Amino acid sequence: MTKYAMVINVEKCVGCHACELACKAEWGVAENEHRTWVKPTYPQSLGGKGLFDLVAAFYVGQCNHCDHPTCVEACPTGATFKREDGIVVVDYDLCIGCGYCVEACPYGARYVHPTLKKVDKCDFCAPRLEKGLEPACVETCITGAKVFGDLEDPTSEVYKLVYEEGARGITSEEVNIGPNVYYIGDEKKVDLIINKFPPRKPKLPTPASIWEKLLKPLLGLGVVASFLGASVAYFIQLFKGEDKFE
Amino acid sequence: MSNGRLTRRQFLKGTALVAGTTILPTGLVRAQRRPTTWHGRERVTEIPSTCEMCFWRCGIIGEVKDGRLVKIKGNPLHPNNRGKICARGNAGLKTLYDPDRLKYPLMRVGKRGEAKWRRVSWNEALDYMVDKLKDIKSKYGPEAIAMFPHGVSSRLLKSVFASWGVVNFAVASFNHCKGPRDVAFKLTFGTSPGSPERLDLPNASMIVLIGSHLGENIHTGQVREFAEAIGRGAKIVVVDPRFSTAASKAHWWLPIRPGSDTALILAWINVLIEKDLYDKEFVNRYTYGFEELKKAIKPFTPEWAEKVTDIPASTIREIAVEMGIRKPSVLVHPGRHTVWYGNDVQRSRAIAILVALLGSWGKPGGYFLPTPLKKSKCPCPKQEKPSKDVCEASGKHIYPFHEEGVPSQCVVDATLTGKPYPIKAWITYGTNIIQSIPQPERTIKAIEKLDLLVAIDILPTDPSLYADVILPEATYLERYDLPFVVSNWTDPYVAIRQPVVKPLFQSKGPFWIAKEVSKRLGLKNCLPCNSEEEMIDKILEPLNISLGDLTNKGVMSFPGRPYDTSNLRFRTPTGKIELYSTKLAAKGFSPIPVFEPVDEPPKGYFRLIYGRSPVHSFTRTVNNEWLDEIYPENRVWLNEKAAEKMGIKDGDEVYLVNQDGVKEGPVKVFVTPGIRDDCVFIVHGFGQKNPMMRRAYNKGISDSFLMTKIKPDPITGTTGMRVNFVKIEKNGKLLEYTPEGYEERLKEMKAAHVTPTIKIQKPANVQPEQPQPQEEEEEEGC
Repeated sequence: MTKYAMVINVEKCVGCHACELACKAEWGVAENEHRTWVKPTYPQSLGGKGLFDLVAAFYVGQCNHCDHPTCVEACPTGATFKREDGIVVVDYDLCIGCGYCVEACPYGARYVHPTLKKVDKCDFCAPRLEKGLEPACVETCITGAKVFGDLEDPTSEVYKLVYEEGARGITSEEVNIGPNVYYIGDEKKVDLIINKFPPRKPKLPTPASIWEKLLKPLLGLGVVASFLGASVAYFIQLFKGEDKFE
Repeated sequence: MSNGRLTRRQFLKGTALVAGTTILPTGLVRAQRRPTTWHGRERVTEIPSTCEMCFWRCGIIGEVKDGRLVKIKGNPLHPNNRGKICARGNAGLKTLYDPDRLKYPLMRVGKRGEAKWRRVSWNEALDYMVDKLKDIKSKYGPEAIAMFPHGVSSRLLKSVFASWGVVNFAVASFNHCKGPRDVAFKLTFGTSPGSPERLDLPNASMIVLIGSHLGENIHTGQVREFAEAIGRGAKIVVVDPRFSTAASKAHWWLPIRPGSDTALILAWINVLIEKDLYDKEFVNRYTYGFEELKKAIKPFTPEWAEKVTDIPASTIREIAVEMGIRKPSVLVHPGRHTVWYGNDVQRSRAIAILVALLGSWGKPGGYFLPTPLKKSKCPCPKQEKPSKDVCEASGKHIYPFHEEGVPSQCVVDATLTGKPYPIKAWITYGTNIIQSIPQPERTIKAIEKLDLLVAIDILPTDPSLYADVILPEATYLERYDLPFVVSNWTDPYVAIRQPVVKPLFQSKGPFWIAKEVSKRLGLKNCLPCNSEEEMIDKILEPLNISLGDLTNKGVMSFPGRPYDTSNLRFRTPTGKIELYSTKLAAKGFSPIPVFEPVDEPPKGYFRLIYGRSPVHSFTRTVNNEWLDEIYPENRVWLNEKAAEKMGIKDGDEVYLVNQDGVKEGPVKVFVTPGIRDDCVFIVHGFGQKNPMMRRAYNKGISDSFLMTKIKPDPITGTTGMRVNFVKIEKNGKLLEYTPEGYEERLKEMKAAHVTPTIKIQKPANVQPEQPQPQEEEEEEGC
């Protein structure tokens, strides 16, 4: 079995944005939107005194092709699904551009393409992989900071970086859905990236099934809460005259 | 296909065969099938070429579908960038298809600066320009014409004009960029560090960057190797008043007081010598003047340097010792944009001396040696009796070590004053002289005095606002250029630039432009080649290759001899590495670098420092859709302590007002702990003043317009730019900030001044005046 993953070496990345634009050129990403992006943390003080005690890094973001993707859960049509090789893809024929998955992604990795009216995001350049090419961002990365490969292959570099050298995904105590984009380098820098760009709580849409799933951990009290919550939400929606609520 | 029908491929084969027997054999080579690849889900044709989004010249491959460029990627065969290209390289197609491009020749109908134009034919534009130039030449002589060339494509027209007698060429890359370090290294080693710099970064165990912000300054091959070194755990030292990207990778970040770099380098030299940590064998064998250096360097102790640089003596010592232990694989970067304070040659000399003491010249992990590749020319005959250039003629500011044309301020001065002689016509080629030369208000005033200003460019950058004639050049993706024969790489290479797509609109390539001008000037023997293809073939002839060998691969590399020191010679008067510069001594300059304190900011002011963003190449790229999306405007980096005291918050809109009252803004403030509190930083290239650049117009602010003061280096005449100071104006109120201990520091600085103890005299055993064979300088980019 294959499980694709990306590791970003924060020591090597200089924040040049080449990855972002190679991706843009390859996939016709919409203006002001991204499949992959670069954000600086900017110099941060480590709490010590004086100028010498600073740290800075670049956060390279993209779809994390998570083990438990909330976007897949959120998709009402089944357009978004996880392939056997771990890549989360969007089937354009099924996508209705509702944007639920955009809200559900903790990493802000999805957007609705304004002209196609479909959801667009990184697919690890799956069509390129089929032709034996690397993802476009990896191909252009001038410092070799982006490493792509198969986590199930013990000889791969990503395997080494993740399982032997401790590359970490962006997770928090609240949100951990098994991201497959990892960061390696000085722990202070990786921490800085994770703290500065933490995963946001996935906002899932409101079909009853998903409500149920979200509230399961609470059980007991949760049953009451869910009823109350759902009915309040229902009345609000009703009051607003919206009919999305089922 | 066996159904008897002729397939397209068979048909093409047949015609190629017929054509091959009738046309030149190279024609057959060029008709060979192009390689293809996948773009997204489509099959596309691949055409290799060379990038020009900056001047590093990475190998690229254009992916073309139905005659339209759909993507640019790196050429994996290119030994420099090895298949990698930066954001600018990736965004090249947005420059090609920029809706604001210069499309047709234009002639001015309104007043200068009014931006009113008439579309004309190439014939009309060139006839007008050449008639006017002839007129000026007959009235005032050829010296009344000045050219500002930039980039490889300008070289052809430059050679045409030189052949016609023009002498005043103001070369930006020397004057406003790497002049000081090139001259300093030539004085010391007899050769410049080259471009690309011959730095063996991958093998370096320690890298020292002095004011160089690699990572924000993206020269792809170099940044790739820098990252490689980081990955291998090389020790990194970054000297910069700002916490740059490179500083964030460093083991030692030294937030130095701006202007005091020479003191730091001298202190390092002092420790290396005092502690016997220099490479004795290398110094004994190859250098000249060590004893003089040893004597002169005595007063420059780390304790002395601490007072000047604000860097603890213990840190200075620690790093020097580390260098001494790790030598010779210690790479002290020579920098590139080195025109800072007007004492830049001496600072670069100190770096060169440090390099020599570490013995890293010609060693793995140091400065590798070039592997010269032979090439020929398609030349214009040289002018036999050239007139005196504007600096020579003026007599008063002669810069004895100026190379590559004349300092631009001399051209501007002469145009303004008519002394030593009048200058009546300027030709700008691929350069924004309004933003690249400091004191733009003087440049604009000088332009108003001209009879003719011709702007040749791909985009309507600032000079075209004032031009009489605007000529649209084809972009690097649409034209041939002179081939790049690069000996400054561990595996030297030859690369070509060729059209990836046909020229859009009425834009023309440099060969066509130069040839048309030379015809009109009546220069019969100029550019004796019939086509650019023939020209490239001719230049590559000594290497036994032709353009046809390169059209499908774009590049060819050769085995190098980067560490072969068996033949190590130095083209200096003594034939050795001159720690003591006999040439400087002969001209009355200090032969061993001394520290000259620079003017500190007046009370209440910040020093204005500037640099680059990784996604822009000065003003050339600010109108690019994708690059604008990533970095649309510059921000002022301001120290958080200073900001707090002044009541400025991150994102506030302010104006910068310089020491002469010139105001630029509004601009947003970036409040950060990552800069000293005696300076502010902005990225250069913003604040475009030409509304024809619709995307970039008025975005951000221009550092150049705040540079009303310059300090030319007395040795080279290169333009020191970091001598301007600003205050911040918020809500109409001029704010002031003075760093803690400002007065004491001024006193300390004065006390730290050391009068040079070296006597300037010609050593008896050498003849410095002897002309040395000069390397051909060909790099015209920063």
